[in-house]
Amino acid sequence: MISVPSKKTHVIGAALFAAAMALPFSHSAFAEAAPEKGIVAFKYINYEDSQPDQDRISVNAYTVSVMAPIAGKWSISTTYTNDSVSGASPETHTDLHSGASKIKEHRQAVDLSVTRYFSKGSLTAGTSYSEENDYISRSYSLQGSLSTEDKNTTFTLGGSYTTDTINPSISESEYFDKRTVSGLIGVTQVLTKEDIVQVNLGYAKGRGYFNDPYKRYDDRPDNRESKTVMTRWNHHFDGTDGTSRLSYRYYTDSFGIDAHTLALEYVQPLPNDWTVTPSVRFYSQTSADFYLPSDLVFPYPLPPRTMDQRLSAFGALTVGIKVSKRIAKDWLVDAKFENYEQRAGWSITGGGDKGLEDFSARFIQLGISREF
Amino acid sequence: MKKNVLQKPVHVFLLLLMLVLSGCSIGPAVQPWEKETLARPEMTFEGDPLDNKYTEHIYSSKEGASGGSGVGGGGCGCN
Repeated sequence: MISVPSKKTHVIGAALFAAAMALPFSHSAFAEAAPEKGIVAFKYINYEDSQPDQDRISVNAYTVSVMAPIAGKWSISTTYTNDSVSGASPETHTDLHSGASKIKEHRQAVDLSVTRYFSKGSLTAGTSYSEENDYISRSYSLQGSLSTEDKNTTFTLGGSYTTDTINPSISESEYFDKRTVSGLIGVTQVLTKEDIVQVNLGYAKGRGYFNDPYKRYDDRPDNRESKTVMTRWNHHFDGTDGTSRLSYRYYTDSFGIDAHTLALEYVQPLPNDWTVTPSVRFYSQTSADFYLPSDLVFPYPLPPRTMDQRLSAFGALTVGIKVSKRIAKDWLVDAKFENYEQRAGWSITGGGDKGLEDFSARFIQLGISREF
Repeated sequence: MKKNVLQKPVHVFLLLLMLVLSGCSIGPAVQPWEKETLARPEMTFEGDPLDNKYTEHIYSSKEGASGGSGVGGGGCGCN
């Protein structure tokens, strides 16, 4: 059954965001100290997804980042990413426009941030740019933190503005815009010598074009408001010298999607500078209010509507392992493998679209970094 | 469907904030010379930035939810 999206007001979230934006950033700072060493890092990432009896999308990405300290009170960071996507579009009940079934895309993205460190924290200004043949995104952000005298409690405040331009390759004369403001307020607390926790509240409001231009009958609302609560807890075990990293995120938005994400990884140092990190992540979401299930017969309801399986109800499980080794004093190499399984029947709130095919993916990362 | 109180992010945040801040009273404040373990890379929330950034990028292109750990970064045509 298709429900009409409810008109939510989100007054508290908007007020919190407005209050957060009104606070002076100049007093904000992070508890971290200025870095003594710079680092240059490179990663190769390979992504492949598949459905029963067929491979679908393949992504090869190269990304390099540099962080350099400047004069003891500043640091500058930049990241460049180059990825290419190829393959076939998702095999679902989604009906594609002609010419959109085969995908071949190339994306380049660069971001730059500058951080000023103070005695009780830091202030970071950043910008990013991402370009594909049919999509350009620009983003500007400011984030600061302020810590208490004993540096055991740190308050964080941040905001960003993103503007996107969409120029669908099946209709090159058309241009669409999307603008998003987002804010984050959080607190990090040292609990013991071996425990640190963090809670972040996030808010984002976007206006403009949210459709997928390559899918037929895809006509979504022209605004989207989301809120997140993210909690993280790192604990060190004296007995094994290992560290557990636990996180939980709750997400809700005006499309009607509620999502829970629970992730755990365990970092275990081994002899000869090896480290092994197994990880597991479980994700579950409800469907958007305007999602059209696969058993719906034509004619479809009036907009808003979508058949995008990413807006259906499902659950997903990722299991991974990362191995890293310090090969010399300043050199670190790492390799990571993750397997991702998405199933309509795994949504903890039910309501999955049983007509959808199972979806699997694997991610591989190979990295090397050097401190200087 | 009416949401219960724990499904409102602001309420959850305030509840967790109280729990976090009450951590100050769990034991004596941790002193600067006791923070060697806390300074290890795996005890920070940033972890491996390139790993985190790309993994978040993948999830945001395959799932309905995104964000929560920071601001900025921009969008892409993948979602």
